Amino acid sequence: MTAATQGGADLAVAPEAWLKENPSLSNRQVFRHALARFADDDASVVLLEADLAGGGDPFEARHPDRFINLGICEATMLDAAAGMAAAGQKVFAHTFAAFGAMRACEQVRLGLAYGRANVKLVCDYGGLSGAFFGPTHHAIEDLAILRSMPGMTVVSPADALETVQAIRALVDFEGPVYLRLGRNRVSRLDVARPAFQIGKAMCLREGDDVGLIAHGEVGVAVALEAAELLEAQGVFARVLNMHTLKPLDVAALRETAERTRLLVTVEEHTVIGGLGGAVCESVCELGLGARVLRVGIQDRYDATAGSHEELLKRHGIDGATVAEQILHALPRPLRAALKPALRRG
Amino acid sequence: MAQAPLEERARRIRRTIVRLAATSTGCHLGGSLSMVDVLVALLGRVMHVDPSAPRAEVRDHLILSKGHAAAGLYAALAEFGFIDVEELVRGYNAEGSHFTGHVSAKVPGVDFPTGSLGHGLGLGVGLALGHRMRQRPNRVYVLCGDGEMGEGSNWEAIQVAAHHRLSNLTIIVDRNGGQNDGPTEAILSQKALGERLRAFGMQTAEVDGHDVNALCAALEAPSDGPRALVANTQKGAGVPMLRGKGPHYAVFSADHLKRALASLGEVTP
Repeated sequence: MTAATQGGADLAVAPEAWLKENPSLSNRQVFRHALARFADDDASVVLLEADLAGGGDPFEARHPDRFINLGICEATMLDAAAGMAAAGQKVFAHTFAAFGAMRACEQVRLGLAYGRANVKLVCDYGGLSGAFFGPTHHAIEDLAILRSMPGMTVVSPADALETVQAIRALVDFEGPVYLRLGRNRVSRLDVARPAFQIGKAMCLREGDDVGLIAHGEVGVAVALEAAELLEAQGVFARVLNMHTLKPLDVAALRETAERTRLLVTVEEHTVIGGLGGAVCESVCELGLGARVLRVGIQDRYDATAGSHEELLKRHGIDGATVAEQILHALPRPLRAALKPALRRG
Repeated sequence: MAQAPLEERARRIRRTIVRLAATSTGCHLGGSLSMVDVLVALLGRVMHVDPSAPRAEVRDHLILSKGHAAAGLYAALAEFGFIDVEELVRGYNAEGSHFTGHVSAKVPGVDFPTGSLGHGLGLGVGLALGHRMRQRPNRVYVLCGDGEMGEGSNWEAIQVAAHHRLSNLTIIVDRNGGQNDGPTEAILSQKALGERLRAFGMQTAEVDGHDVNALCAALEAPSDGPRALVANTQKGAGVPMLRGKGPHYAVFSADHLKRALASLGEVTP
């Protein structure tokens, strides 16, 4: 018996109620329960693991014949995923972000992206969430790498509800997708939002001073926190949840650039090539003429131990630091015309 | 129309390969010629494939992991009716054609684009697992190069195949003893390849890779687990002028082509 079948709520029908009954699950655990439940209705869904499933995986419990733990061989897991997809399965392959996106990078490029395989690469330990495990287990370049591969779709859900919705969407999505999750957070965003749709950004908050564009669990939580702090200072932020990094929702980006005076990207990833890079590229290409402040990991590896929260703070990825940076960077209102200089003589 | 004996089909495939070597780009000649008899055994007798339905759900699969030998595979696919031979010769490495110098999956009869070495076995393992899960009879044949066995990903995939007892998977190593920079034994030894494969859990046999009947017998022998065949071959095999010095890559002159075709039984005007 797994949590997906305990209690009254059915994850597939009433995800919010189900999440209330299972309040302490991290998003990576929510993924496992959600996939296990959705696989009930779709016999072609398969889950591959590379010795990182942990004990008591809910998918393995419910669908042991469609769960294969291949062992410590991420590269073969992803080539095999492409092979299984060619046999008609909808393959979800799970590992740590650092290994899926980087150790097995060529398998992702050739088997998944170039091969247009129907494989969903689901990786947790995104960003710095591996924290005290050190940089071997941090994934701060994965979004840049995966985004650069033609045909790849790249998604990072912002919280548990969005993780369930994204998994639901991925089961029916044809083609290769990189879904990035964290490790620790138990995010339950208490905001009204439109339905989840791959490739369509969500506006979570309106404001016309600054446009915060956020990606992933940490990015969206930090952006919302910064927006609250700014509001106390009389500065109003529009917050865009850009859960799909690729394809980027350029219409939502354009709207945000036109409505606000400064764009700020927030992500748990190096500021090079991920959300910050994607937004800058589009702002230039579309001629939006906006300044873009990129909040993220500042082009360095962080080799000292620490908690996830502390590591984020060291890189300035926290609400207070972001709010402060924005106050400094916001274009000041036009000053009152200066008094004419005194004439000499 | 009665089918030509397999040996004759091998000769015809070799003729096409040397024609591809005489195109402006040339081709990976030595390793294309060395595997011809293996391809003839597979496509001509052992595999269940239908060239008029190359993507049929129930069929066998051939993955050429040594994808640089595309000329050899394309030539064999032409011989067995998957593609048109004249279209191949015209299109090989030509502007806008799908007949790229490393295997393209746009070519009928090809499931995966290969040539970055060390991927074919992993793809084959997944395909074999997938078909077993779906209870289909499809068999998967992966043809690797011996130099290619230097890639560690192959040994990952072999472990998985053995652990999951993938009896619908067969690996054939084209043991031609050469790789890009010279003899395998001078660069990275593949000595005792059969023993190594056996130690990793494969049911292994060694066979003369130019004896089509012996290859067929080895490929059709019953097995209750994944199999590996070490096919001992020679680079440039079948073209007497290349004997003992089959090049890895070659661009043939008109004169070379004429001599090669003559030795393969074709009289050119």
